[in-house]
Amino acid sequence: MTAPLLEVDDLCVRLRTPRGPAAVVNGLSYTVGEGETVAVVGESGSGKSVSVLALLGLLPTRSATVTGRALLRGEDLLTLPDDRLRRIRGAGVGMVFQDPMTSLNPVLTVGRQLVEGIRAHADVPRPAARDRAAELLGEVGLPDPRRALDRYPHELSGGMRQRVMIAIALSNSPSLLIADEATTALDVTVQAQILELVERLQRDHGTGVVWITHDLGVVAGIADRVLVMYGGRCVEDGTADDVLERPAHPYTRGLLGALPDLALDRDDGELATVPGTPPPPTDLPEGCVFWPRCPVRGDPRCETEQPPLAPVLRGGHGHDRREPPHRAATWCGEDEAPARGSGAAAAGRAP
Amino acid sequence: MTGYLLRRTGQSAVVLAGVSVIVFALVHLVPGDPVRLALGTRFDQATYDALLARSGLDQPLVQQFFGWAGRALTGDLGVSFRSGDPVTLLILERLPATVTLAFASLLVALLIAVPLGTVSALRPRTVVDRAATVFSQFGISVPDFWMGIVLILVFAGTLGWLPTGGYVPLGEDPLGWLQRLIMPAVVTGVVSGSVITRFVRSSVLEALGSDHVRTAEAKGLPRRQVLTWHVLRNALLPLVTVTGVQLAYLLSGVVVVEIVFAWPGLGQLALQSVQARDYPVLQGAILLFALVFLVINLLVDLLYTAIDPRIRR
Amino acid sequence: MSVQPTPGPPPGGTPPAETPSETPAETPSEAPGGSPGPAGGRTATLRPARPRWRETLRLLAGNPTAAVAAVLLLLIVLVAVFDEPLAPQGANEIDVAGRLQPPGLEHPFGTDDLGRDVLSRIILGASVSLRVGFLAVLIALVVGSTIGLLAGFYGRWVDDVLMRVMDMLFAFPAVLLAIAVLAVRGPGSGNTALAIAVVYVPIFARVTRASVLGVREEVYVRASRSVGAGDLRLLTRHVLPNAAPPIIVQTSISLAFAVLAEAALSFLGLGTQPPNPSWGLMLAEGRGYIELAWWIAFFPGMAIFLTVLCFNLLGDGLRDVLDPRQRTLMGGGGR
Repeated sequence: MTAPLLEVDDLCVRLRTPRGPAAVVNGLSYTVGEGETVAVVGESGSGKSVSVLALLGLLPTRSATVTGRALLRGEDLLTLPDDRLRRIRGAGVGMVFQDPMTSLNPVLTVGRQLVEGIRAHADVPRPAARDRAAELLGEVGLPDPRRALDRYPHELSGGMRQRVMIAIALSNSPSLLIADEATTALDVTVQAQILELVERLQRDHGTGVVWITHDLGVVAGIADRVLVMYGGRCVEDGTADDVLERPAHPYTRGLLGALPDLALDRDDGELATVPGTPPPPTDLPEGCVFWPRCPVRGDPRCETEQPPLAPVLRGGHGHDRREPPHRAATWCGEDEAPARGSGAAAAGRAP
Repeated sequence: MTGYLLRRTGQSAVVLAGVSVIVFALVHLVPGDPVRLALGTRFDQATYDALLARSGLDQPLVQQFFGWAGRALTGDLGVSFRSGDPVTLLILERLPATVTLAFASLLVALLIAVPLGTVSALRPRTVVDRAATVFSQFGISVPDFWMGIVLILVFAGTLGWLPTGGYVPLGEDPLGWLQRLIMPAVVTGVVSGSVITRFVRSSVLEALGSDHVRTAEAKGLPRRQVLTWHVLRNALLPLVTVTGVQLAYLLSGVVVVEIVFAWPGLGQLALQSVQARDYPVLQGAILLFALVFLVINLLVDLLYTAIDPRIRR
Repeated sequence: MSVQPTPGPPPGGTPPAETPSETPAETPSEAPGGSPGPAGGRTATLRPARPRWRETLRLLAGNPTAAVAAVLLLLIVLVAVFDEPLAPQGANEIDVAGRLQPPGLEHPFGTDDLGRDVLSRIILGASVSLRVGFLAVLIALVVGSTIGLLAGFYGRWVDDVLMRVMDMLFAFPAVLLAIAVLAVRGPGSGNTALAIAVVYVPIFARVTRASVLGVREEVYVRASRSVGAGDLRLLTRHVLPNAAPPIIVQTSISLAFAVLAEAALSFLGLGTQPPNPSWGLMLAEGRGYIELAWWIAFFPGMAIFLTVLCFNLLGDGLRDVLDPRQRTLMGGGGR
């Protein structure tokens, strides 16, 4: 097995906030292979966005402390000098953010924002960069890309703006694309188009993708592997099939149980989830981070000891060696309660 | 865009009409006979009758207003009760001094505020940031006339570097012009500048935290490019509005500073006309100030729509 | 400059350019069927949140600058209230033999051209300056807030008419407007307060209107209306308490400028009249002696500066505490 594209090892992020120090990410480890899509799932506040912003040094340096390792093709992003890291941003790793309304500069044209990204990494004359920009806009499906170059973001629809964001992220053919809630602000049909677009581009360019979302419908549609985050930790990871069909962590089960059946009208958009709210990162509970909300707690260690991320034992099913293991961090996994709602979640479908 | 322009101009015209009614009413709100008050002890019936007829105060009120407003539109603001000179002429005489001081002050203000506000936002909690906070708090709270007097004490009195005040036209004595301009321009510039510093600082801070700046960083743009094109450009666009408001205020006569430095501007004229109960002059000056204020605000709004693509429609 | 109202609300002329950083497409999404949809990230409160004084005071105490300013202001107000016993001499005890004495043991701030004790006059002048300032802001607060409340609450033509009139007042340069009022009414303390109030009425009207507009449509107002509460009750029980924070901040800042304006107008000879000791007037009197006896003008100016500074610092502190948008600014890219 070749070295993975991205290897994150024991990533920790501490933020100084007005309410005291916050442990936002606590020992997160995962890998992303070339051309692979890893979905990072969790409620808002679970630390998923911070964990990727930290990789690229996009957190405010004054208030954030980042430790651990994050190897991109063997190079540790967390120890790189600023200048070197800048060259990786945009060129090695492209990012798409949640809100295409605010993520583009409102007072610069789309063309300008693409061209400056291209020219930051490649020494090309402006006209050539413009040609490339138009080509990219065409590739992400903007009608009349030449004219779109001279448009301002507010003249485009939300979906078009997100396509522009994707074009910007892909403009220097990065080996890794990070999408941070990239479809959350879009309506459902546009979401599907964007997902399709990313899948196609990924196939064409062999890009690895980290897809951050709280929307399990999206996960089912695109992910090869899934990582569930809670309280700044990975509480479960494994292949999309494993995690979605045979969830082992009570939190994942809760999320899946709450997943509205796609046949039903998804009028509320949000997943209605587990009762309660995630703990504030300034005040994480002792023991298992999930226990205060856990419906099946009962193990004496729940309130005192953080369960390690351990392989899920599956009676009957032989484990395929080529697949990465299915792991979960819970004390209750050992008695293997049947996953609630797993049947409904199983029918892996594109949204 | 044209619709907006027309609507905006129309609004200003309505406000100006209202302002002119208020200004006109001014004379009639004075208890007693304004002509008589203006004449004071030099009272004789012939002068009184002439002045009354000239000012039109003997006519019915509505007729007076439309006569006054109509003449004002043609640039005739009546004659001074005191000197008998046309008010327009008196105002035009004072205009160069006021315009000079206004632009010099604005220059001082921007030269201080833009760099100071920007650097303090980019380097929060540093010495520069604290200095900016102290400076803006000082400038906002200090009585300008007191600061003027202290400056006179130090630079004109103790050190003897600058004259205490007065004004000479640039054409006659460039050095003297500059020497007399420095202190008043610094006083009003510091006061205006402190307001602008605060604005620039919060504007840059807001831009720094915005999503599109994060996008620019994620694109791998060099820091300098992120700052110029994504932070400063966006942060300084609204500065146009604030600068316009400050200019309008500076142009409308910095009365107190003009008094302290014996600067023969419009503010001084207005104050003298109050002291002399020379109501036509006061009316003319106030009308002009309001007009300047409205026109500059209108221009600023229009300029803003031109430079900010979001507002173009 | 003194009366320039800028640090309050930006006098951005007219509505279109007032908040230029706002994207035009950002329309608050009104959830259908009356469900309380979070509009623009702002959670609708179901109960009117009364201004929490205790909480406000606690947070204010946590801001050392504002706390110091508040304590200093309290001292200044106490000096103004108990002026007679505190002043070493009367305001107009003339001592021609001891005129123009520099600061020393007998006269800490020196004596003026008539031999009057500068310190005593500053202490006795505090009440004059503060009284005019407080009175002016009180008038502006009551009149302006009422206008803003009515305009914001009733909207439509009431709003149009009232706010156009406010625009007209706003089109006058502040000092000039005050001077014009004094030109009509004649000089004196009471008229000075009135003149300053006229300048601040449109500002309070705008601030109040803006925050009333913000809370008018909130759920509880609609809820109360549906159970048949009268307008007056709605206004006083629900709208006003929730619209109060920006008005409180504006009051503190306006007090700063009112004190400054009173000093400026008195300096120009239009405000408080001699022989009453007002700080601005003392400055004007001392101005002629600036090279001979700097202390006559210097100390009253210092008194004005300190008082205004304290009101401004307190206003800033209150803004930090009461205006949550400012506090959330430091979160930045935290999420």
